[in-house]
Amino acid sequence: MAEQAQENSSLSAVVADVAAGVALALDGGRDSSALSGVLAQDDPLALAAIRVLGADVLAPYALRAGGGPGTTTDTGTDMDSGMAHRRTARASGVGAGPAARGARADGEVVRKALAAYPPGADASEVSLWSYRGLVEASRAYLPAGQGGPESPAGAGDRAAGPAAVAGWLQADPWPQLAHRASQLAALSLPGLAPALATGLAARTEDLSRGFVRAVRRRDWLQAAGIGRWLARVPDVPDTLGLDTGLVYVLRMSGGDARVALHTAIARRFHGRGAR
Amino acid sequence: MASDLSAPVETAALAAEVEGLLDSAEPEGIYRDTRECGAGLLLLGALLISPPTPRPPKTDAR
Repeated sequence: MAEQAQENSSLSAVVADVAAGVALALDGGRDSSALSGVLAQDDPLALAAIRVLGADVLAPYALRAGGGPGTTTDTGTDMDSGMAHRRTARASGVGAGPAARGARADGEVVRKALAAYPPGADASEVSLWSYRGLVEASRAYLPAGQGGPESPAGAGDRAAGPAAVAGWLQADPWPQLAHRASQLAALSLPGLAPALATGLAARTEDLSRGFVRAVRRRDWLQAAGIGRWLARVPDVPDTLGLDTGLVYVLRMSGGDARVALHTAIARRFHGRGAR
Repeated sequence: MASDLSAPVETAALAAEVEGLLDSAEPEGIYRDTRECGAGLLLLGALLISPPTPRPPKTDAR
């Protein structure tokens, strides 16, 4: 029923195409430059799709940078120091082949998407977070100089402040928390939002409840998004059956590309779900 | 020229659609499993069209 609620607009179709391309790249079916290879750079729909998917569009670069199983922590602190190391390495001129050219092209596409669809004055908090996540991902995962633009009018700073994290993360009841966590699933990539990851890790039980609730409601996209956050957490209860749950969600989603992308990231980065 | 004029409108519409997809509301409603409902309906139909319970024939007590 929930899957019927999502309208099949042209943007949704392009979002699905991009998500499928990224998931394929994660599974080794494509080159890492998943964006510039499958999208027309100046197509407004393509840029909008990148903005919708957020940091997830750069997930193959994060994986290539060493974000595989065993490299993430609850707080993301280890990963953050790793990111800083990689940034330094790239600044020294590492990579000049076709992969580097693809990364440059992808960086350009991401920059255009960020410039074309900045969060407005009345943008939702989720939109601000997502924008900030894409900016941070382009800085962290792409080679030096390919990072995104500064946040317009401090939009990203509003979203990334500790106060913004503390408010809803501690106060929201578990159904609302789980819903919002699923909307921000792209930020579960290594090193993007350590404060958010720490806060959600402290509410593992509530996220687990939300995962079960989403499955019961047949809201496969929400279930997959929550599952990604749970995949990061080491002390997720065994009784939840997260691995089989993620496999079930993927199968029941009926080929939803965004669900497939979430489950692919849970599998490739954290080793959860289908082995 | 017409496409130039419509471009900002299209971008604004897309921006609104992006916002909608990013901050989509959780679908409200009562969630029922279609297969469970179908099975229940089938059972109800079978009960309604089933023949009456056979009863012993009446005998005259003269």
